[in-house]
Amino acid sequence: MPYASQLMSRPIADLDGEVIGSLSEIFAQQIGDISHPKIVAIEAKKGSRSLYISIHDVVALIAPAIALNKRKKDIRPYKPGENDLYLIRDVLDKQIIDTNGVRVVRVNDLEITRVENDFFIANVDTSSSGLLRRLGLSAISKRLPSKGKRGTESGIISWEDVELLSGDQPMRLKVPGEKLAELHPADLAEILSDLSRQEGRDIIESLDIETLADTLEEVEPDFQVSLLEGMDDERVADVLEEMEPDEAADLLAELPEDRSQELLELMEDEEAEDVRKLLSYPVDTAGGLMTTEYITIPPDITAEQAMAILREQGEDAEVYYYIYVLDSGEHLIGVLSLRELVIAQPQTKISDIMVKRVVTVHLEDSQDECAQSVAKYDLVAIPVVDDDKVLHGIVTADDAIDKIIPTAWKKRLPRLYH
Amino acid sequence: MNAIRLFWKRLKPYRTRLALLLAVVGPGIITANVDNDAAGITSYSVAGGNYGYSLLWMMPLVLITLIIVQEMSARLGIVTGKGLADLIRESLGVRLTTLILSLLVIVNLANTVSEFAGVAASMEIFGVSKFISVPLAAAGVWLLVFKGNYKSIERIFLIASSIYLAYIVSGILAEPDWLEVGKAVITPSFDFSFGYVMMFITIIGTTISPWMQFYQQASIVDKGIKVEDYRYEIIDVVVGSIFAVVVAGFILIACAATVHEKGITIETAQDAAMALGPVAGKYAQTLFAIGLLNASIFSAAILPLSTSYSVCEAFGWESSLSRDIKDAKIFFVIYTTLIVLGASIILLPIKSLIQAMMASQTLNGILLPIILIVMLHLINDRRLMGDFTMSRWFNILVWITAIFLILLAITLMILSISPGLFTS
Repeated sequence: MPYASQLMSRPIADLDGEVIGSLSEIFAQQIGDISHPKIVAIEAKKGSRSLYISIHDVVALIAPAIALNKRKKDIRPYKPGENDLYLIRDVLDKQIIDTNGVRVVRVNDLEITRVENDFFIANVDTSSSGLLRRLGLSAISKRLPSKGKRGTESGIISWEDVELLSGDQPMRLKVPGEKLAELHPADLAEILSDLSRQEGRDIIESLDIETLADTLEEVEPDFQVSLLEGMDDERVADVLEEMEPDEAADLLAELPEDRSQELLELMEDEEAEDVRKLLSYPVDTAGGLMTTEYITIPPDITAEQAMAILREQGEDAEVYYYIYVLDSGEHLIGVLSLRELVIAQPQTKISDIMVKRVVTVHLEDSQDECAQSVAKYDLVAIPVVDDDKVLHGIVTADDAIDKIIPTAWKKRLPRLYH
Repeated sequence: MNAIRLFWKRLKPYRTRLALLLAVVGPGIITANVDNDAAGITSYSVAGGNYGYSLLWMMPLVLITLIIVQEMSARLGIVTGKGLADLIRESLGVRLTTLILSLLVIVNLANTVSEFAGVAASMEIFGVSKFISVPLAAAGVWLLVFKGNYKSIERIFLIASSIYLAYIVSGILAEPDWLEVGKAVITPSFDFSFGYVMMFITIIGTTISPWMQFYQQASIVDKGIKVEDYRYEIIDVVVGSIFAVVVAGFILIACAATVHEKGITIETAQDAAMALGPVAGKYAQTLFAIGLLNASIFSAAILPLSTSYSVCEAFGWESSLSRDIKDAKIFFVIYTTLIVLGASIILLPIKSLIQAMMASQTLNGILLPIILIVMLHLINDRRLMGDFTMSRWFNILVWITAIFLILLAITLMILSISPGLFTS
């Protein structure tokens, strides 16, 4: 298959065989539902003069000399519009996001394919053999053992799995992120950590509040702060409301006092109240780690009634495997697993089936103690109580273990300089 | 109590401004500190020790050039949010990128060699053989990056590098003839001998080294400094540059006033340590050795790392450990090779470690004009820089520097072929 780099600098000759210039730019457009951009024009450059030629005037594009079907004087210069991609200026040699392999890669070449009489950009070549080809050393690359694999391993990425970075995008892609929004937030976070902060900020600008909140939860607090810099306070407050209260509290704790107070003012009272409470505990204690979103029921209702409450509250709860039973004074008197609730007879009283010896941690217990209890009793979450056994929140297993076993991508090289 | 709170509130605009400044400050000052690396210290010592005050007049010129160049790299980083290698690849295509980066790798390998030479020289003062100190340092540096927390270790290095402030004190205590020093600063002199021209290039190459441009820009991008904070970054750059050149100047003065006065030629690290005599007395050697060791290891860690990052950035190879070691294997290979090669070359029978260190800085001076021209090309690209392109006067100044350096490099080459050409 031909490559964009091979077309570069090839002579362009008109109907009379006169050389107008050499190819210096390729314009492409995404048309209709076809996910691959179609080549619509080329630029011929001679000295400082340049001429944009529509693809309709080209007889043979993939040829040692590109032939036109018009005389030079008859050519009506092509006018690039807002939707035109400048393949050489904006794509070749630039960084792109490979949404399939979840990584940021550099474009070494663009593979062109012919479908009937049209030319499309089929794949993006990020491989080392693409690099060697550009250096005029393709002889070496042919001798290299071919892995015979396609996909991320080979470095050939279908255009369908490519997202351009916003800085280099034409108008059409000003609302990017279609492909990005479909990624798992953890993957999105990984891509953000691959990009420079400025590029990262551009991407998060384009995400909707919900995706942004989910993604930020996957990122280290100090990196969160740098991503949120420059975003207006209203939007940050919206994102904080959307985040789990414990994550929001962690983020706010990283910000300067003035700013975090301002943001709390902007948040809705209910959410702000939860976050304020969490902020008052030291970060590495059960109080600092816990979240306030969980399901509680009174002891004197039936299993059937409990299920009804579950349907109502379940939406917001971070963990719904456990249902905590509180008396009228908010004291934790029992716990029930989701399974126990589901298999119970509808008319059974909760107080008859709940487990009364509840494993808990105290507000001031350390993260280590939380992690150990979670591991010892095989829990998904552990309730946090004060001296009077009043329930204040729950610490989920992932938060408890998080700082002891860091998530995989935290092991990335230290950010080099700061 | 209320009055205090009110006062604190009223200070808010200033507090914000100070906070902004502190948030931005860093890359320039750190770069300046790393600038006085093993080879830098050695070069200034040799310049003072062998040529007395006669090279002092370069310092103000070097300072101005350093500020302009570092400001360029800061501006490129802030406005584009991209590293220098990144910009080179995106603007100049594959071939030129390969050429420039290959040169950078070679020169940086030479610099890495000189950092390990610094380790060897400083430990020899303590009587430790280089066959023990260098492999240990190499292994330590390698582990540091992959196992350690670079960020906190960097601070230790930075604080330790203030040992070189001792040179300022000792420069004063050596009671140089200040009238003569002042005269030397404003009196240009030049000598067409091979040694002098090489010294000249070396001083420029060590103060404005090519890899520092990659390093500072990366550190600014990494910090995510925004265009609005641009003017604060200039303060950072200017303060850092002045600090670097003042320390360099005092090393030169200290060596000129002590070593040169006695008519000794600097051949070993012990000779250079003598310059610290006035302040540290018999502890001079120890102080010098610790300072040199610190500077050497600090740079030996940063240089291979910065080089590997630049190469991977330019060619789009994975440079993080976000997934598996095998995904970033090119990064590992480059990084490890630089350290292993850098350390092994020093173990070869080399007569003078100081000569080895100086040679790398001469290479810096030869690569510098190429990097400068590339930076000029980038910074004048309106599509890239918008309204932040360089003014015409700055352009002219940088061009003069680049052309001057190229002429010097050519002179050096001619002199190396026929030494007496300009003097006879």
